[in-house]
Amino acid sequence: MNRPLSAIAGGATGIAVMSLLLLFLEVETRSNLAIFEAVARFAGMPGNVTFGFVLFVLAGVFAWPLAFMALEEYIPGGPDPATRGMVLAAVLWVVFVLTGRGDLSGGLLAIYVIFTLLAHLCYGFLLGAVYGRLTSEGPVESERYDPSDVSQ
Amino acid sequence: MGVISVLKEIPGLLVVTWALLGLAIYAGYRQNWQMRSVAADGGYLSGLGFKSEKPAGIFRWLTTVDHKDIGVLYIVFAAGAALWGGTDAMMIRTELFTAGTDVWSAETYNALFTTHGLTMLFFFVTPAFTGLANYFVPILVGADDMSFPRINAIAFWLLPPAFFLVRGGLITEVMGKMLAAVGVRWELLFSLRPPTLGWTLYAPRSIIVSNPQVDLVLLGLHLSGLATIMASVNIIVTIFTERDENITWANLDIFSWTLLTTSGIVLFAFPVLGSALLMLVADRNFGTTFFAVEGGGPILWQHLFWFFGHPEVYILVLPAFGLVSLILPKFAGRKLFGFKFIVYSTLAIGVLSFGVWAHHMFATGMDPRLRASFMAVSLAIAIPSAVKTFNWMATLWGGNVRWATPQIFCVGGIMTFIIGGVTGVFLASIPVDLVLHDTYYVVGHFHFIVMGVITFAAFAASYYWFPLLTGRMFNRRLGRIHGYLSIVGVFVAFLPMILIGYGGLPRRSASYPGAFEALQQLSSFGAVIIGIGALIWLTNLVQSYRLGPIVTDADVWNLRETGQFSREWQWFEEQLEDRTKFRR
Ligand code: HEM
Ligand SMILES: [Cu+2]
Repeated sequence: MNRPLSAIAGGATGIAVMSLLLLFLEVETRSNLAIFEAVARFAGMPGNVTFGFVLFVLAGVFAWPLAFMALEEYIPGGPDPATRGMVLAAVLWVVFVLTGRGDLSGGLLAIYVIFTLLAHLCYGFLLGAVYGRLTSEGPVESERYDPSDVSQ
Repeated sequence: MGVISVLKEIPGLLVVTWALLGLAIYAGYRQNWQMRSVAADGGYLSGLGFKSEKPAGIFRWLTTVDHKDIGVLYIVFAAGAALWGGTDAMMIRTELFTAGTDVWSAETYNALFTTHGLTMLFFFVTPAFTGLANYFVPILVGADDMSFPRINAIAFWLLPPAFFLVRGGLITEVMGKMLAAVGVRWELLFSLRPPTLGWTLYAPRSIIVSNPQVDLVLLGLHLSGLATIMASVNIIVTIFTERDENITWANLDIFSWTLLTTSGIVLFAFPVLGSALLMLVADRNFGTTFFAVEGGGPILWQHLFWFFGHPEVYILVLPAFGLVSLILPKFAGRKLFGFKFIVYSTLAIGVLSFGVWAHHMFATGMDPRLRASFMAVSLAIAIPSAVKTFNWMATLWGGNVRWATPQIFCVGGIMTFIIGGVTGVFLASIPVDLVLHDTYYVVGHFHFIVMGVITFAAFAASYYWFPLLTGRMFNRRLGRIHGYLSIVGVFVAFLPMILIGYGGLPRRSASYPGAFEALQQLSSFGAVIIGIGALIWLTNLVQSYRLGPIVTDADVWNLRETGQFSREWQWFEEQLEDRTKFRR
């Protein structure tokens, strides 16, 4: 598939799974983390959850994947695009935590930090993996496993 | 401070985002939107793609009746449930990090340990082992498939709805939130609160609580029970009727033996749970009085529940024992010591497990003579368990032990099982139980078994058969790190609980006296270690599935050397030969 479309497909997969994870987290924590308010703040629409979420999805499907495609070669972690996707997502996560954490503190902040990091890594991984697979820039050659080297 | 507050004030990431988008379009323009077309998998097939006449993509997984595919579905489902239940555990431990109720509300806390327990027992462990059974039993006994492939598929597909009913409120709440986001608020969708009863669902609270979600939980558990029974019937019939001529009862492998016994227990235990659940549903909705004081009384619930509940513990642990018995000898370089006695002890546990249920009820004021007899049987069941432990140790003794990842988990599992078992023997004696009942001691005790040997055996199997399942090898260094982290983590997380229990702290409470804080924090620290290990596991398996070194020789574990190149690996060898033909 051509590269921009592959990137968008990766972004769509990633954002779908990430939204699902965030929804689970929201329900699981009985809305204590107010994840979608955080998403809205992240997207620059504090207070407007619906619109913020729409922007979040658009950015996740179009902006980041295309940026990823453009910057791929400069992102550390290659050659596996999935790892590179995770690096990109980790950078996004830093901004997410800074803009979105509201006034959480203590245990809740810890939960927020850890689980949003995992959700971002999932996004980045899927973005890169799907992109890599569709453009087949993914890992093609892999060494063969040599059983005699079962060191221990 | 300054930087952070400035960032919080940013009118949005919009500027950055769209700037990047512009950059991307520019870069794409410069690269001429390059097109590529190469076979997506670089020409290599994974182990999940042996047969080529199956429909491709997601459709294959939705319609499959092949035991291997269903096994994989079960395993993936179980792994997902385990991660979700693990999230619950981490949240429990976050709350318990400090003495007060300051992270979650008490209600959320109660919901967390309830859903944690239900998820782990019914939707992680049982499906994980059923999945391994589905994949490997037909191969190990030389059958083409399970006896009833369609029932097999149905049994699996009952699980996701059952899981969502039990974890429930989720879907409705999501719908509610989506509607609320566009401005429609439908209160009914928010009325299902997660259950807070604990996994034992004790009457009378389970009758009185008005939360409609409890009814969904009961139905979901009933459904999962049906699924489990169907899977078990299938396993039993397959082992009885589909065995290859040269597989006799005498040379049936140890894993199939334990699954056969487990399935037998399921056949007697789960119908009791099913009936009891329906009676509870009737009590809640139709005014019957099975478990009400004026009827059978709350104690009747306890008897029925634990008549199922104790055998259930063995339903979980016997397959784990089977895996340890299967895998351990391969890396000890010699045959399993006392094979026959391991089989006999498995059967003995299967029978005895139905005779000990009331040891969960010592504190309810039963007749002391009855109590004493249950104590006797409970102590007796320690004997077959000890037989296994000693046989494993004898297998290691004088063996040429290789510390490969599966072996680390097996030996770690034996270690934790010894602690779990010995603490269990203490609990089985009435005077001790009266002191420790419903304290953290109990939580510590059973987690040495559920998080120790059961989960460890599942991890061991996931590594041991990974090359067979995926055609690739995992990263062995990461595997070993995961193994050692898990062992340390279990001890750091659950030994403090034993001590906390000796201190007399009751479990199932979000707050506790400050004196226990240090030990609780140590325990939370251990839980984090386990969690990190689990993430390493996930990363390792996912990345190795995509990128791991390709297996071309079926003897990945050097088993031929010691004459242990068993049936599933021989089968794998044939598959590899077929694939190589296919590839050229
Ligand atoms: C990192 C791993 C785990 C941690 C830190 C953990 C922690 C806990 C804690 C603290 C409780 C007690 C909550 C309370 O009563 O206040 C609990 C309950 C429970 N856990 Fe776990 N757990 C872990 C893994 C598992 C696994 C793997 C299983 C099953 C396979 C399991 C099954 C249960 C069950 C059934 C209960 C409820 C027990 C009862 O109330 O009767 N847990 N867990
Ligand atoms: Cu018991």
